[in-house]
Amino acid sequence: MNAFTPPDELAVKPAGLSMSEDVARMKGTLLKNIRRSAYVYRVDCGGCNGCEIEIFAAITPIFDAERFGIKVVASPRHADILLFTGAVTRSMRMPALRAYEAAPDPKIVVSYGACGCSGGIFHDLYCVWGGTDQIVPVDVYIPGCPPTPAATIYGFAMALGLLDQRLKEETHHEAAGEKVALAHPDIPYGLRVQLEREARAMAGYRQGRDIVEEFLTLIETRDPAPVTARIGDLVTREGDPRRAEIFQRLQTVFTAAITGDAS
Amino acid sequence: MLKLLKEVFRTGEATHLYPFAPLEVAKDFRGKPEHNPAQCIACAACTIACPPNAIGMETDPVAGTRTWSISYGRCIFCGRCEESCPTGAIRLTPDFELAVARKEDLTKRAVFKLALCPCCGEPVAAAREVDYVATILAGPDATPDQLARTRELASTCPDCKRRNDVDLLIRMGIERQMEKRI
Repeated sequence: MNAFTPPDELAVKPAGLSMSEDVARMKGTLLKNIRRSAYVYRVDCGGCNGCEIEIFAAITPIFDAERFGIKVVASPRHADILLFTGAVTRSMRMPALRAYEAAPDPKIVVSYGACGCSGGIFHDLYCVWGGTDQIVPVDVYIPGCPPTPAATIYGFAMALGLLDQRLKEETHHEAAGEKVALAHPDIPYGLRVQLEREARAMAGYRQGRDIVEEFLTLIETRDPAPVTARIGDLVTREGDPRRAEIFQRLQTVFTAAITGDAS
Repeated sequence: MLKLLKEVFRTGEATHLYPFAPLEVAKDFRGKPEHNPAQCIACAACTIACPPNAIGMETDPVAGTRTWSISYGRCIFCGRCEESCPTGAIRLTPDFELAVARKEDLTKRAVFKLALCPCCGEPVAAAREVDYVATILAGPDATPDQLARTRELASTCPDCKRRNDVDLLIRMGIERQMEKRI
C-alpha cells in the first residue's frame, strides 16, 4: 500500500526571489509615504474574475480610487504596484514572474483576495501554488472573497501609508475556571431548541437567531403582565408582516409546550 | 453649458468619502467573522463546516490543549461557521478593513484546555465542552452530586465506556444465562 504523503511535500518549493539592499530601502520609503501617483498593473493568476470585477468597481466614480492617484495601467513596465489576484495556477507561474520582472524597481506587490492571500477555497487543489507569496515577495495582503471596493481602497491606502493596519495577530488563552454559560438558563433547553429550530426554518440561521433571541428575551423578562399578553403585544406591534408571522409561529410552539400538548 | 452645469449641481457628488469618513455598509453585510472565546465550547463544528478550511482545530495531547484558529486570509465569508455554531460564539461582523502587511496578522487563535478521561487519563474533549454538555444533560434542577456524575460520564472516552460496559455485563453474569438457554 502506498504511504500517505502530504501534498505540501510533493510540491516543488520555488526558490525565493532576492532583492538588493538599495531596492529594499527604496521600497521602504515607497511603502511609508509614496507622495505621488501610483500606477497599478493587475495580474490575474487564475482567479474566478470576481476580484477583477471588484477592482473595476473600485475605480468607478462611486469609490473613485483615482482620488489617491491610483490608476490601472495596461503594462507592467508602467506599474508601481502589482496586484496579483487568483490562487496562482501552475501554468500562470511563469507569466506572473515575467510580469514581476518586467515592473521597474522599487515595486509594491499586493496580494488580492482570499485566493491571492493563501489559496482561498482552492488552497489544496493539485494545480495551484496556493497564494501569491509562494512565488513572489508580497507587501500587502487584502483578504476578502472578493474584497469589496471599500476594502480594496483600504488596502491601497494601507499600502501607500495613508492608513494604519487594524488587524493584529491574537491568541486567547483559556483562563482557569473559565466556563461557557448556558444561554437563557431559565428556559427549558428542549423548548429553546424547538423555538430556535422553528425560527431558523422560517427565517434562516442569521435572522432566525436574531428573532428567536428577541422572543426568548421577552419570555425571560420578569414583568407583571402575563407572558401571553406580552407576546400578543409583540406580534401586533411588529410592522413587518413576515416577522410578525414568525413570532406567531413561535407563540404556537411556546403555548403548545406550556399547555403540554406538544406533538 | 449652463444646462450641463445645472445637471452637475442637481446630481451632486456620487463619490463616497471613504476612507476619510466611515462607510455605511449594507444591513447583514458579511464581513470579518468575530470569534468570542468566552462562548466557544471548542466542539469543532465550525472547522467541519468551513469550506476553505480557514478555521482549524489542532489538538496537542502532550500539552493538553486544543487550539482553535482562523485565517482571515483564507476565509470566504460564507457564514457557515455562524450557521453551525451551537452557542453563537462566532458571528460575522460588518468589519471589512482586513488588509495587513504581515501575513501572520491574519491569524487569530484561541487555546483551550482538554478534559482527561477519568478511567484511562487520555484526553477526550475540551474541558469546557464536557462541562457544557454535562450542564445540559443534568438539567437545571440537578444537585452537585448528579452534576459531577454526569460530568464523569460525559468525559469518559468511548474505549473506556466499551470496557466498562463489558465489565458490567460480566458482573451481571449474562454469559451463564446464555449457556443455560442453549
